[in-house]
Amino acid sequence: MNCAGKTIFSFLMLVAPSVVFGDSCASPQVKPSIYTTTEASSSTDTVFIVQFSLTCKGGPSDLTLYADVNGKTVAVTRNDDNVKFPFQVSFSDENKNLPSGTYEVKFYDEDGFANLRKAQRSGESSSSVKSLFSIEVNHPGVWKGPFVSSELVATLVALLVFFSAYTARNSLQSS
Amino acid sequence: MKIISVLLVLVASCLSGYMADDEGEPRLLASKNILNQYLVENKDLTVEYKIFNIGGSAAQNVRLEDAGFPEADFQLVAGNVQATWERIAPNTNVSHSVIVRPVSSGYYNFTAAEISYSAGADAKKRQVGYTSSPGEGGIVNFKEFNRRFSPHVVDWCVFAIMTLPSLGIPFLLWWSSKSKYDSKPKRS
Repeated sequence: MNCAGKTIFSFLMLVAPSVVFGDSCASPQVKPSIYTTTEASSSTDTVFIVQFSLTCKGGPSDLTLYADVNGKTVAVTRNDDNVKFPFQVSFSDENKNLPSGTYEVKFYDEDGFANLRKAQRSGESSSSVKSLFSIEVNHPGVWKGPFVSSELVATLVALLVFFSAYTARNSLQSS
Repeated sequence: MKIISVLLVLVASCLSGYMADDEGEPRLLASKNILNQYLVENKDLTVEYKIFNIGGSAAQNVRLEDAGFPEADFQLVAGNVQATWERIAPNTNVSHSVIVRPVSSGYYNFTAAEISYSAGADAKKRQVGYTSSPGEGGIVNFKEFNRRFSPHVVDWCVFAIMTLPSLGIPFLLWWSSKSKYDSKPKRS
């Protein structure tokens, strides 16, 4: 009986890792759709929304995923009603903390996320942890309105015209 | 108009009616905020949900659903109005954002979103609660908004053209006489 127990245990020890790895997504195919805040009037904070669909080769695609951008990790949400882009992850921060540029959002499954947390806790660089896939977010920056208001430009032009006319008249009268 | 609602309404476990030993129970606080400075017709409206778990254990299978943006009044630009998290660990928070576009102008009452979750092992009984509601907000007409905030470049150009005759005609007269006299050699 004891022997049987050991056999089952060793069998499980052999099989379990492959089950765990089988859970992960092999050669993931990702279709993203990205939104970033572009106008300050539509949001006081900068918001990134990354939606994507995920198909895995020979594996389940209903994974629990985590995303990492700039060292901040967030859980990925699911909505199976949205057939096109069921996964969504959103980030928000003040405008100055998310300037324009390209951001890389890395995605991890549960094992990868655990490794990432472990690496972060021990102070190692998180780049050593391999992510499942990543999506690049190109943020063009937030438009806060024109640098110079049109009224100012109009006033300057009017002053310029007046000044040139005035100097022209002065030069006529003096000659 | 800036709408940032007063924080945090829901204490989901209040719904179960007793304030028992909460040490091991997940407790969620959820807020719904509209981040816009101005709500404008046909322009993006950013809605942010934040969920905090202040309880002692993880909330499982958390589901957020907002029925406050009907298709007749809003067009969904980005994000899902329904989201699920497998678990929210204690003392952590998650956030979720949705971008919608109001189809028409006028006053609109932004209501609370519904949130439900199951508390750990007792997965059959789901707790239901609500986020805070941002309240009523006025959605400005797109033309009205442009009249107040657009740079009016076209208007200024029209103004410049309209002032051109009164400046340009005397200038041309002067210029023609000047060039007439300037071109002649000076007689001494």
